[in-house]
This record gives sequence, C-alpha cells and structure tokens, in this order.
Amino acid sequence: MEENNTIWIEKYRPARLADIVGQDEIVERLASYVKTKNLPHLLFTGSAGVGKTTAAVTLAKEFFQDNWQRNFREMNASDERGIDVVRNQIKEFARTMPDGDATFKILFLDEADALTTDAQAALRRTMETYAKTCRFILSCNYSSKIIDPIQSRCAIYRFRPLGGDAVKEEIGRIASREGLTISAGAMDAIVYIAQGDMRKAINAVQGAAIISPTIDEKSIYAITSTARPDEIAELLTLSLKGDFEPAESLLAQLLHERGIAPNELINQCYRALVKMDLSRGLKVQLIDHLGEADFRLSEGANSDIQMEALIARFVLSSEKQRQG
Amino acid sequence: MDWAEKYRPAHLADLIGNKTAVLQIAEWAKNWTTKSRPLLIYGKPGIGKTSTAYALANDMNWEVVELNASDQRTAAVIERIAGGGSVTASLTGSLRKLIILDEADNLQGTSDRGGAKAIIECIKKSRQPMILIANDLYGLSPELRARCEPVQFKALPARSIAPRLKYLCAAEKIRCSETAIHAIAESAEGDIRSAVNMLYASAIGREDITDSQVHTSQKDERTSIFSLITALFGRASDDELLRLSFEVDDTPETIEQWVEGNVHHLPDQPSVDRAYRALSRADEYLGYTYRRQYHTLWRYATAIMLIGVAEAAGGRGIHARIMPPERWQKMSTAKKQKAIRTGTLNRIAGMIHVPQSTLRENYLGTIAMLVANDPAGYAKSMTLDADQLNFFLNDKARSAQIIKAIAQEEKAEEKEKEKEAPKKAKKEKTPPVEKAQETLPVLPAEEEPVEKKPPAKTQSTLFDGF
Repeated sequence: MEENNTIWIEKYRPARLADIVGQDEIVERLASYVKTKNLPHLLFTGSAGVGKTTAAVTLAKEFFQDNWQRNFREMNASDERGIDVVRNQIKEFARTMPDGDATFKILFLDEADALTTDAQAALRRTMETYAKTCRFILSCNYSSKIIDPIQSRCAIYRFRPLGGDAVKEEIGRIASREGLTISAGAMDAIVYIAQGDMRKAINAVQGAAIISPTIDEKSIYAITSTARPDEIAELLTLSLKGDFEPAESLLAQLLHERGIAPNELINQCYRALVKMDLSRGLKVQLIDHLGEADFRLSEGANSDIQMEALIARFVLSSEKQRQG
Repeated sequence: MDWAEKYRPAHLADLIGNKTAVLQIAEWAKNWTTKSRPLLIYGKPGIGKTSTAYALANDMNWEVVELNASDQRTAAVIERIAGGGSVTASLTGSLRKLIILDEADNLQGTSDRGGAKAIIECIKKSRQPMILIANDLYGLSPELRARCEPVQFKALPARSIAPRLKYLCAAEKIRCSETAIHAIAESAEGDIRSAVNMLYASAIGREDITDSQVHTSQKDERTSIFSLITALFGRASDDELLRLSFEVDDTPETIEQWVEGNVHHLPDQPSVDRAYRALSRADEYLGYTYRRQYHTLWRYATAIMLIGVAEAAGGRGIHARIMPPERWQKMSTAKKQKAIRTGTLNRIAGMIHVPQSTLRENYLGTIAMLVANDPAGYAKSMTLDADQLNFFLNDKARSAQIIKAIAQEEKAEEKEKEKEAPKKAKKEKTPPVEKAQETLPVLPAEEEPVEKKPPAKTQSTLFDGF
C-alpha cells in the first residue's frame, strides 16, 4: 500500500510544463524557451505554493529529457546562505561541462532572497562568467530582496497567487484520480483555506481524504482547524452590533470546542474585515485592535484574555462610531 | 548565448552613453605610463562599466586579467594573480596586461581577509594598467579611493537605450513595436543590460513583439507603485488597495515611504493630520515586526496605512506628479556622510581599543581637539582621507590641502627610496619602512608632536549629524 502513503503534494506535482495550472502566460513563455533551445537567466518571484519550483523542474525536464537529473541541480539558499557556498558549490557546478548533448546546465537556487548580500554580489559575476555552461533560475518571495545587479541579469517572472478556478481545476483532477467525491461547498472551502497556495489546498484534501473519500465543507474546515467564513462573519457582526455576550460565547465555542488556534482566528477575522463594507475610519480602528491582539499573543500574553479583550474593543469602537 | 553577452560592445566607439567618461578613459589609456594612477569606474549596475574596461583592452590590444567577487580575494590570491600579472611581462606578445578588478566594493570580511590591503600593495607595485570597478564609491576604503582616479558612469536615459534595442531587433531579425521598445527602455531605469535581457527574454521563440508581451519580464515595479498611489488617492476599494500593495512586490517600508512622500498632496490640513495618524500607527507595526521578527504583523501595517490614508484622501484623487520619497534624495547625501563618519570612528575605535559607541559618547571631544592641534600628524598616522579629516576640522579646503601635502610628501619619499635601492626593489617581498607603518594600527596619541598648526576655529560643529 505504498501508493497510498505518498504525500500528494509530491505525487501530484506537475510532470510537464503544460500541466501547471493558473500561470498560463508564464508557462507559454517557458515553453517557447524549450522550443528554441534558448534560455536566459530567470528570476521567479511569488509567494509559496504557486508553482515556482515546479516550473523550474519541469523546464529542466523538457530541456534535457532523460539527462535532466545530471544537468539540473536544485539548491536551497536558506540552508546555505553565505558567500562560500557561491564561491565553492555553485561555481563548481556552473563551471563543469554539461552532460550528454546539452549545451548548458541549469542551476535552480530556491529562496535566493535568503542569500546574504555578499553572497549575491559574488553570484552576479558567476552568472555571467559561466553563462555558456550554466543558466541560473533564482526563486524568491520578494524581488526587492535581490540586489539590483542580479535583477539586471535576469528575466523576471512574477507568479501570482493562484485563482480559485486554478485551485478547483487541480483539485478536481486529483479527486477523479483518487476516487474522491468533493462537494461544491467543500471546493469553496478549499479555495478559501488555500489563499492561492496549491500546496495548502492539496494538503487539506489529502488530510480530509484519509478520513473519508467523501469530502464536504465540514471535513475541510475540521481537518485544517479553521472556522467557516459564515462563523467569522457572525462573530464580527455580533461584536459590531454590540452584542457582547453572544459574541463571547461564539468565541469560546470556536476556541475551545473546535480547537481553533487564536492566531488562526485573528487571521480569519482580518481577512473578513478588510473586505467588509464599513466606514474606513472604523475599519482602521478594528484592524488596529486585531494587530494589537496579535502582537500581544506573540509576546506570550494569555490568549483567552486577549481574545475576549479583542471582542470588547470591537464592541466599544463600533459603539463610539454609532454615537458619532 | 544571451544577448547581453553576444552584443557586448567590442570597441569603445560602440558604447552607448557616458561619452565624457569613455573619453576620459581612452585618454588615460593613451597616456598611460607606469606612473599613472589606476582608474576607478563606478556607477549603477548594467550601464557599461565592465564592458568599457573590456572594450578598452580590445582597442588597445591589451591582454586582460580579471578578478571579481566570485573569486576568493584574499591577500594571497590577489598577490598571485594580479600581482603576477602586474609586474611580469605578458607572454602572448600583446603590449600590456590590463588588470580588471571587478566589484572592488565587495571585498568580504573574513573570506577576503587582507584583500583591500593586497589591492593597495598591488597598485603600488603594478607596472601594468589597472582598472577597478565598483557600484558604490563609498563602499571602498578611503586609502583605496585615494590611490585611484575616479570615473563616474551615469544611468542611461531611455532615449539612448531605445536605438540600441532597435539595432538588436534588426540584427536578430525580430519585429518589435515602437511602444514595446519604448516600454522596455523606460522600465529598465537606465540599466541597459536589463533592457537587453528583457528584450531577449520576450523575443525568444518569437518574430514579433508587441507591448502586451513585454510586461512579464520587467525589472522594476515603479509602474505598480504609481498605480498603487493613484488608487490610494482615488476610488479603489480596500480589497483592491491591498491586492495592489501585494503586487507591488516591495516591502511595506518602501510602500510606507512612497505613501508618506505623497501625503502632502492632500488638499487640507485635517486630512493630512488623519493620514499621518494612520501612517504613524502603521509605522509602529513595522517597528514591532522587526524587533520581534514576527512578520505576520506586516499586514496590519499595510492595511492601516493604506485604508487609513485612503480614508483621509476621501477619493478626491491626486492632482500632482507622484514623486519618489523626498527622503531618498536626502538619504543618498546622508549615506555618504554616514559612511565617512562610521569609517572614521571605526578606525579610531580600533586604535584606542574602545567600542565605537563609547568612543562617540566619551572620547570624541578629546580626540577632535587633538586632531585639530595636529591635523597632518593624525591624518598620516590614521591614514585619513580628505573627507575623514574634514569630519574633524569641518573645513573642506584646508582638509584637502593637508591631505594633498601628505600625498606629495609620500611620493617624494617613495622616489627617494627608489633611488636608494637599485632596480631589484620591485622583487622585494617585504617593502620595509612604509608597509610597516601601514600595518601598525596603533600610534599612541601622546607620541604625536604637539601643535604643528594652530587649533581650528570651527570644531564646535563636530557633533553635527550625530
């Protein structure tokens, strides 16, 4: 039963460029590099789980076919962040000749923004000097953390957070392969939880699937320990109306009976709040209250007290607003 | 091969922009003698510094020895590669060897131990032309700077970049729309290599490039930050604002500075007040984020600053040119001052064995008076440059004069030594007196001859800027 025990985020990692969902424009450009056997240095930016690593690996596979593992190397810069790694390991890989009939190799440097500025400075000439034998693909969350001389040497591809449709498409594919039944409500819940991160989405589905092949909304929220959006909406509405006690009991239920972490609750309140139709003045105050609670929790304050105080502040701020 | 390499200019005449700088370099090469100072080319990335050095070597038929930050540059390595290149004659028959030290501002602490000193040694001994290249003039040690002839390279205007892009398109038989060329040239921000790379990235596998195909590979976010600021003063929804701030792909600090830089466009004082209230609260969250390394707090900073300022703006729009934060311009001047200050303090702190902060708080006054009493003596023993000496004297002309005098004196001494020692001097492994003086960090203040010159009158302003 080994098959059942593999982790799905690896099992369903796209094997070909064309299988990557939600990044059509980028995939199209990358595919044309393969077609013309030509590749500039690349810089991929974007948040987690949007396809940066997958794009790099599939690109290498299509470039080198069977030889891909010998001509492709993946390094994670957050493990080895100093200048010596550039001067030794990276340079060593870059300077040696490619294997087979490949004209160059590809070095994929994940989390390149973790490299120290010194190491980045050393990298820039390595990229140029060995461009004939090696192309670099750097990936990072914020391109602003990559020094200008490197940005200037790369074609930059910005990976957007995945849209709901892309997440649904991929999850639908997995469901049919695994024989799962996923309700429409559950699909929406997956999109809500994923926040554009495909790995999160797949992980939630695998978690739910371990319990039952029939997946509904409830099982998704339960397995990921998140509150339903309507519960969050109710919590906010109650506190903004000034109904402290019902709000308090709903809060207690979410925290204690459902076991949702206070941070996660704050996170969900934040997501809901910024989209709510409120006066901006009040909204800023409420966001400030959330931030304050979040900060205090991170400092080790008692979560029960801070969360109740948060609700109380919501009540007070909205009351003040109503009185003008 | 990518186009930036393929079309690297082969001759000085092929270079785009920076005409006077290129001319200066050509002159330097033409008149080069073993007495010439090395060149120090500095400026932003991607504007042709390295290309110029190579094109020069090509034009002059000089061989090239290059050393850059991806090589380890300890004293030993520099000595071996550049040192060898700098005194021995070339084997391949070309007249001279041009030693290019790229990224000279990137000598790294422990990994490049002794590197800066070795470069200086190398400059002193070299019988070959040498070019140092750096992004930041003040990233170099003052001793190094003082020994070079600086040449500044400036960012290229879009109108100079565009014709080059058109030329590449013609050479590669690619049709590229006028607007696409323009978009690339603009967004490269003076960085021609980035422009060429952008063009290359969008051209692979295509024969036509239209403007809509260009945007995926842009270097800079300025277009987005402009749209964020416009949206902020306009009628965008909160959700839209946050989405834009995410796409700007800049840290919240940068966004904060842009927002603050444009807050004064608000039409009335109460609105400006409200905007600043939101900004200052957001700023507190940024402070927490860094102090606690808890990056979740970033989002509160972003949300409060954007929604708060949008509230103050009230959808009235922005009716002025959106400008980059004024503070940035001030900062670049301040950055130079700060580099001078920390460099000087560092040197003294090392000499008298106290931490920099203690030095600043307790001893600087005394030292300043001592330096004022004997500027030349201190400048010499601490190897200060004119800027650093000026930090104590606050008299630019006088500082420059003193440093100049010292330099002349040193030159004379060197000549004297050359005369004394026969031609073999250059093969000596340890140049005696002078090197010893340089490597000895401590020259106790008491031993300095006192009162060569009258005390400066202006020292009361020493602590300006602290």
